[in-house]
Parts: sequence; C-alpha cells; structure tokens
Amino acid sequence: MTIRASRRSFVLGTAAAAALLPVAAFPALAAQPAAEFVRSLGNRLVAIVNSNLSPDEKKAHVLPILQSDVDVDAIGRYCLGRYWRMATPEQQTEYLSLFHQVLVNAITDKLGDYRGVSFTIGTTTPQGEDQAVAAVLHRPQQPDAAMQWIVSTQSGSPKIVDVIGEGASLRLTQRQDYSAYIQRNGGQVATLLAALKRQLAHHQTPSAN
Amino acid sequence: MLTACSSMVAPKPKDPEALAEYNEANDRFEPLNRKMYDLSVKVDKYSMRPVAKAYVWAVPVPVRKSIGNMVRTMNEPSVFFNDVGAGKPRRAGDAFVRWCINMVAGVGGFIDVAKYAGYPHHDNDAGLTLATWGVESGPYLFLPMMGPSSIRDGIGYGIDQGLSPWNYVPRGYGLLTFNWAYNIMGVINARADHLDDLDQVQRDALDPYATIRSAYQQQRKALAQAIKDDHRATVPDWYN
Repeated sequence: MTIRASRRSFVLGTAAAAALLPVAAFPALAAQPAAEFVRSLGNRLVAIVNSNLSPDEKKAHVLPILQSDVDVDAIGRYCLGRYWRMATPEQQTEYLSLFHQVLVNAITDKLGDYRGVSFTIGTTTPQGEDQAVAAVLHRPQQPDAAMQWIVSTQSGSPKIVDVIGEGASLRLTQRQDYSAYIQRNGGQVATLLAALKRQLAHHQTPSAN
Repeated sequence: MLTACSSMVAPKPKDPEALAEYNEANDRFEPLNRKMYDLSVKVDKYSMRPVAKAYVWAVPVPVRKSIGNMVRTMNEPSVFFNDVGAGKPRRAGDAFVRWCINMVAGVGGFIDVAKYAGYPHHDNDAGLTLATWGVESGPYLFLPMMGPSSIRDGIGYGIDQGLSPWNYVPRGYGLLTFNWAYNIMGVINARADHLDDLDQVQRDALDPYATIRSAYQQQRKALAQAIKDDHRATVPDWYN
C-alpha cells in the first residue's frame, strides 16, 4: 500500500516537474538536427529583434541570416507554381530577384513588432521529405502563437522552406495569392513581375517618410 | 434566372493544371463571393474598421483582454456541446470546467482563471464538428459582413446559434440588454483583434481575396484535424 502510494506520488511528482520544465530542456530533442537548426536560427533572430539596434541596423543583421538559413529560391519557385514552367529563363531570374526583396521586406517589416519576444521549441515530425519543427512564440501583451518551421535538407544543408502559422502554410497561401492574381490579369507571368515591382516601389516610398 | 446563376458560378477550366488550381481553390461561386467580399471591405472601411481603431485607441489592453475573455467564456457552452458532438469527452470536459471556473472564480468570465488552472481555451464550432463526422466543407463562401465560410461552416454557424444557451433564457430586459451588449462588444472586440492582420493582407497581398480564401480553408482543415487527432484519455494520465 505504502509502495503503491509512494509510486503514485513519485509519478505525480515527475509529471509536475516535467510540466514545469520547458520542452527545450530535454536533451533528447537537442540531438535532433532539424530542431537544433531552428533553435539556433531562432536564438540569433530573437537576439537581433530584442536588441537596441535601429530598424535599419536590425535589417542589416538579419539579411545574412536569411540568405544562409532560408531557401528563398525554393520558396520562390514553389510560390510561382505552374507558372514557373511557363516563364522564360529571363523571367525566372527576374522573378527570383524580386521575390527575394519582397520576402526580405515582409520579414524585416515585422522585426519591430516582435520586441520582447521569446520562443520554445516543441516536437519534430517528418513531413514528406522535410522535417516540421513545432515552436511556440511568446509575445508580450499578446497570446502565444503556435507555428511550425519546415526544414528541408535537399540543398545539402538544413534550410527553412516554409512556416505554418495557425494551420496555414505561408508558401501555399502566397502561391494561391500569386496564381489568382496572374489568372485574373491575363494569365501572363509578366503581369506578376510588374505587380511585384510596383509593390517594391510602394514599399520604398512610405519607409522614406 | 439561369443567366443570373451562371454569372455567380466560376466556369471550370479545361487545362488540367488550371483545373487542379480551380479544384484547390474550391471556389465555385467565386464571382458572387468576390462581389460580397468587395462590398464587405467597402462597408468595413467606413464602419467596423474605424470603430475598432477607436476602440483600440480608447480601451486599454487589460480591459480589451477581459472583454475577449468574457466573450470566449460565454461561448464555452457551445464549444462543450460541439466537443460532445465530435465524440471528444476530454475536450468537452475541458470546456465544461473552463465554463464553471471562469463563471465563478473568473467573475462572470472576465478573467480566464481556467487557463492558469491548466485548462487552456480550445476552439470548436458546429462546422468543425460536422468536419469530424466526415462532412466535406463544400464550396467556399464569403458571407457579407461575416467573412470567409463554406457551405458546411455556414450551416454550422446556424447550428451554433441554436446551441448557445442565451437563446433559451426567459426573455426580459436584463437578457435583452446583455445580449445586445454582448453581441456588439463581441463583434467590435473580434474586429479589433484582427486589425493588424487584415490591414497587412490588404497591403501585402496582390489578391487579398484569394489570400484570405487560402488561409481560411487551410486553417479550418488544420483545426478539424487537430480535433480528430486529440486522442487524450478522459481520465487523468496518472490514473492509468
């Protein structure tokens, strides 16, 4: 009876202790390369976001991290969907260059909103050939946001190819945005390129104020 | 009548890749939906958006949070019935406990005490319950002033109205006042929660309508899947 009772209290105690520990503390998870990659990337980004640097300095610090850890070309190709094959090689090159700038703007615009942010890494699950690393973003004054980082190793080294927030894949949403736009504006890749250029021009105007 | 109908339905493309895209978008009534969307955005621009902006400006964060908590707690019975309907007793138990704790210790739902007691909020509605029963979403719908939906979720919305206990409380001025205040505050609060998201979509998306359609359908799928995948036992873990 005593043994049973003590066993139960041991189990309860362990469960309580486990609940109090952040998931990040488990050594087993640290062994997973994808989770470790996301943790390292997240730590570097959070350090920049929470620093006292000016917005432009933050952007300058984030750029090399995005270039090395995010597979922007792969995301760009995915987002163009079936129109990638319809595009001429010149259009493909121009599109990727525009897409780089659009994506960088989209990410760096948000840096200011995330001051005081921290994150916890959760479990890693395989998703096709990629790994999905769950993470919870803790923001001050705002509810926690659950997200999944999709890590691909197809290019030789681990790289982010997608982020899933509240169940929606960013690259899929972007692809459906682009394809709807192309389809409703004559079905030509050129119209998308023109729209992206307009978007970038617009982006530069307000930031100059 | 036929011409009126055909102008509301998007023609099916013949090219196989375009057809795959058409099927992925799941938006048969696109022409009608886009009209409803444009109308909603226009009305929102001059009504709900400024109201929500003023609300955010005037009401401090803790008060907005409390109102959000209250609206959420008042919806808990509907979540409970849907959890039961989806055959998920653990989730139903969570919703029930949340309702009890928050109505008493949380002063009528204004403080989310249950969250700190280990019962975080989870969403459920009749659209999702139907999804767990295997009911397909049906074509996408954009309902004027209400936002993205589908045939299934639209029916679900009607069922949820029936599941809300406030419709069965004896009528009286107290209830009438509460209902109006609750609904108006709920709508303003919900719109305020999405101020930044919606502004961002309008600013960054090339086709905001398609972006909202895509995000909504993905999110609903993920929510339904999360309910289906919740196999936690009804009894606490330590009991087994």
